Amino acid sequence: MGAPAPSTGRLFEARVVESEPVAGVIHRIALEVGELASLLRAGQFVNVAVRGEARQLTRIPLSFTQTDVAAGAIELVYEVVGPGTACLARTEVGSTLGVLGPLGNGWSIPDDARRVLLVSGGTGTVPIFAATLACVARGIATDVVVGARTKGLLWGTDALSSQVSGSVIVSTDDGSAGEKGFASGPALALLDERAYDLVLVCGPEPLMRVVSARAIDLGIPCQVSLERTMACGFGACSTCAVKTIHGMKGACMDGPVFPASEVVFS
Amino acid sequence: MSASLAVNLGGIAMKNPLNTASGTFGYGWQFEGFYDVSCLGAITTKGCAAEPWAGNDQPRMADVYGGMINSVGLQNPGVRGLVAQCGEYLAGLRAEGCQVICQVAGHSVEEYVAAVELFEELAPFASGLEINISCPNIACGGIAMGSTPEGAAEVIRAVRPRTSRPLLVKMAPARVPEIAKALEAEGADALTLINSIPGMAIDVHTRRSKLSKPTGGLSGPLCHPIAVRMVWEAAQAVSIPVCGVGGVRSGEDVAEFILAGATAVSIGSQNLYEPDCAPRILAELEAWVDEQGVDDVNDLRGALEC
Repeated sequence: MGAPAPSTGRLFEARVVESEPVAGVIHRIALEVGELASLLRAGQFVNVAVRGEARQLTRIPLSFTQTDVAAGAIELVYEVVGPGTACLARTEVGSTLGVLGPLGNGWSIPDDARRVLLVSGGTGTVPIFAATLACVARGIATDVVVGARTKGLLWGTDALSSQVSGSVIVSTDDGSAGEKGFASGPALALLDERAYDLVLVCGPEPLMRVVSARAIDLGIPCQVSLERTMACGFGACSTCAVKTIHGMKGACMDGPVFPASEVVFS
Repeated sequence: MSASLAVNLGGIAMKNPLNTASGTFGYGWQFEGFYDVSCLGAITTKGCAAEPWAGNDQPRMADVYGGMINSVGLQNPGVRGLVAQCGEYLAGLRAEGCQVICQVAGHSVEEYVAAVELFEELAPFASGLEINISCPNIACGGIAMGSTPEGAAEVIRAVRPRTSRPLLVKMAPARVPEIAKALEAEGADALTLINSIPGMAIDVHTRRSKLSKPTGGLSGPLCHPIAVRMVWEAAQAVSIPVCGVGGVRSGEDVAEFILAGATAVSIGSQNLYEPDCAPRILAELEAWVDEQGVDDVNDLRGALEC
């Protein structure tokens, strides 16, 4: 009808199957979402409506780690950062939540990729976890660098180690686990050591800026997944704007995954 | 037999009173995946200026108790961009009986005039133009011009001769009766109120604003009682129609605006949380009109008893 295509997002009623802390303020929630599980692609996200808390008007945008298409289930991992996520963490098993998805564009992993480097920091590990599983399912060799502020906030590294053929390297800002410092340290070392044909990064903007700059210097395609506060998730409110070399884009509809070479980092 | 819901908003014939608040509805097409947008009486598109605006820095929104606060800063593709992107869609929407109100943004009187002239030239699908003189998130123009009767009147005096289409004005939540009278005197066909309420939200751990600027605009259910009061004040002050905006979540909320004197009512932030809310709210409104035992929704306008 002569307009851009609307979002693929649809409203689903989800049942909470599991809900528990996994590492300090990092929680996981497993949801039965029916058909939505088969629609989600690695790097896409959902917007969760938290009920029973008057102060939460907008939905919470969350990434997923994995889907179980046969069971119609998805797993979301998130950090409790405010009233909305705190309310979500108190959600009881068996209750229902409104979920809007699939939202956004996920990672673009070419079929002929041979070796991929995945780099995460903090809750950036969530979409990187999903990307890793997507690479493994296609038989692509992967190395993963997982960064966290401290040992008590690390999760998912054992699961990643059991999946990937390459290395899983851990870093913590305080040195309480793995290498001391940001994930950019081991990531830059790996970029110098090994030949990659794709780099995927999600985490704090300085991490994405530093790692993507080196990848671009080396001529390796690099994608970053950006986090923004957002009110709708489907292109209506203009709150999740991303500065790119092609002008302002929206993280919800044009991203959250962008080619790193197009992003103007702040 | 259902009651008639048709209303006339300053020359814009709407099949029902439901409209959408500019800035919460994109350009309409964003909602086509959730329901048939043409069920609405009208939509109001995101504010557009003559030239594209990049908007404000991140972050642009935060949750607050009972609503949200934003500082988008009227990011828009310019009138030419809007027409190229979705002019055909908006023309189709109007052909299906949903009126298309295009909101106009500017930093100065000259910019408002330039944008109105471009809409006149390029946007035959526009059923009317809504001049936004009350955005709280831009440095000049917006609320800086719309919060005094003189400033508001100056903008409308300049744009009124440039268009013969119905001219609406989006008002700030301030000095409502006197500004409403000034706008009516300058030839505005209808008033839309309220725009978001200037507010602040602070992260006390970092001591920083939760937005990229110190202040932003509050919207959502927390605004509803304030908006109903201001719509009632405007409707008392002027004889041109009023479109009520602010925290509508249900047919009952729409009904409150109508009883306070609104001819049409816009759904705002609820569109973002519950993207398929409009058909539900429309059904609830129909049920209320029937329950009131009238055969025309216009019989309920301003029917507040007190």
